[in-house]
Amino acid sequence: MTPDEVIDTIKAQFGDAVKASEVKGVEARMDIHRERNYEILTTLKGMGLDYLNCLSAVDRIASGELEVVYNLSSLSLPTKALVRVRVPREDPIIRSVASLWGTADWHEREAFDMMGIRFDGHPDLRRILLSEDWVGYPLRKDYQDERLVPYEPV
Amino acid sequence: MNSHEHDMEIAERTQETMEEMYVNMGPQHPSTHGVLRLMLKLDGEVVTEVIPYIGYLHRCHEKIGENRIYTQIIPYTDRLDYLASMYNNFGFVLTVERLLGVTVPERAEYMRVILGELQRIASHLIWLGTFGLDLGNFTIFMYCFREREKILDLFESVCGQRLNYAFYRIGGMPLDFPDSFVADCKAFLEWFKPRLPEYDAVMTDNIIFQKRVQGLGILDAKTAINYAISGPMLRASGIKWDLRRNDPYSIYDRFEFDIPVGASGDVWDRYMVRRIEMEESVKIVEQALQGLPSGEIMAKMSKKLKPPVGDIYTRVESPRGELGFYIVSDGSEKPYRYKVRSPTFVNLSVLPIIGTGCLVADIVAILGSIDIVLGEVDR
Repeated sequence: MTPDEVIDTIKAQFGDAVKASEVKGVEARMDIHRERNYEILTTLKGMGLDYLNCLSAVDRIASGELEVVYNLSSLSLPTKALVRVRVPREDPIIRSVASLWGTADWHEREAFDMMGIRFDGHPDLRRILLSEDWVGYPLRKDYQDERLVPYEPV
Repeated sequence: MNSHEHDMEIAERTQETMEEMYVNMGPQHPSTHGVLRLMLKLDGEVVTEVIPYIGYLHRCHEKIGENRIYTQIIPYTDRLDYLASMYNNFGFVLTVERLLGVTVPERAEYMRVILGELQRIASHLIWLGTFGLDLGNFTIFMYCFREREKILDLFESVCGQRLNYAFYRIGGMPLDFPDSFVADCKAFLEWFKPRLPEYDAVMTDNIIFQKRVQGLGILDAKTAINYAISGPMLRASGIKWDLRRNDPYSIYDRFEFDIPVGASGDVWDRYMVRRIEMEESVKIVEQALQGLPSGEIMAKMSKKLKPPVGDIYTRVESPRGELGFYIVSDGSEKPYRYKVRSPTFVNLSVLPIIGTGCLVADIVAILGSIDIVLGEVDR
């Protein structure tokens, strides 16, 4: 299955839920609406992209949003997929995919720990790397800590 | 006390000991190879639940990265998986090069592969040594460290460092090999190859070791994919998957080497896969030394590195599995987002599955077979 076919299939099935898409090499890239993330990822998994390489969170502070990025690939196909979902900063809730992939469990806990994204349906959503009583989400761009040394070019 | 009362008391005591209890293992337990804490729920000697607590070495590597320019991040990547620093450098510079669209000179690619594969051998040696130590085999530990010293000597002759090298550069390599390196490296490989049967004598052919690890901590292929397990652990579960072969980067598609796979995914298979991988790495280094071209080692780079706006996820086969870097660039000198997908963070997350149902002493063996490095798990 080529990246173009991946995008065509998802678009045919979910229509407006795909906000933007492009093909970069063997990678199908999609920006999708957060309401349909679980269904779209389930479909992608069913299409053979069953290996969740990475789940990251990005702070898009300029547009007041947080972004969750799923990197999918397969152990039998050369095709890869990159799925981006944006959630508003004041209401950062998205459906968890921990029931689809066991690996998403710890990745989502890390995204919660560092960015404060709440994963609805996660079995055990608590901080993973920081201590339980930590205040704030360090990887957000507006995080303040006097111990952080900003980079100043010489 | 009559015999009936005595029986009753014994029955009561037995009842007490049958209760489940929690045992805290770590964060300073020697078998955790760093600072990892495991909460074990025990039913007698049997582990019914494993809850890992990580983060003791957390330093927010990713936040540091977002506040540094690209070249300044290289020394920080050394501290991720500090037993395979060369490979962390490799993964990071490769990601930035792909983002920039830079082609690296041929000689630099060969140097990267040679140093990377030597690093893989050194890393597997540490793993083998400490794994033997976990299981009470001190001899193998001394053997492995003896060999690793020689590799560190080679690294020292190249870059002056023995542990954290920061030797790869975006666009190539900073220094050429010293004149004696190729001869020294060949001499090392010739010396190293007969050492491998020595490991077999104390580990592979050791019936006590075999009985200890066979059938232990079984991870089936389906669970392995579901948990995105990578590296030797995935191959031990019977899946022939190696990024050097299946998603080639650098010049790995030019070399002949085998990918060892296991059959059942137990601790024994994970041992055998890493044991054979050392031989395969030797083959790659030999071929790379054979084909090492002369010429430039650094591409023409502008003084300020400003990758175009965009994002990229690049993965390499580090000694522990798929090391991925996800970098989002906003066109400035610093990455907008810098995410490290560390192989052992992901591999460790399957411990609650494979560790349940075994004995406490077996947890040590299973944990050893995952090959965690906490500098990378906690980042």
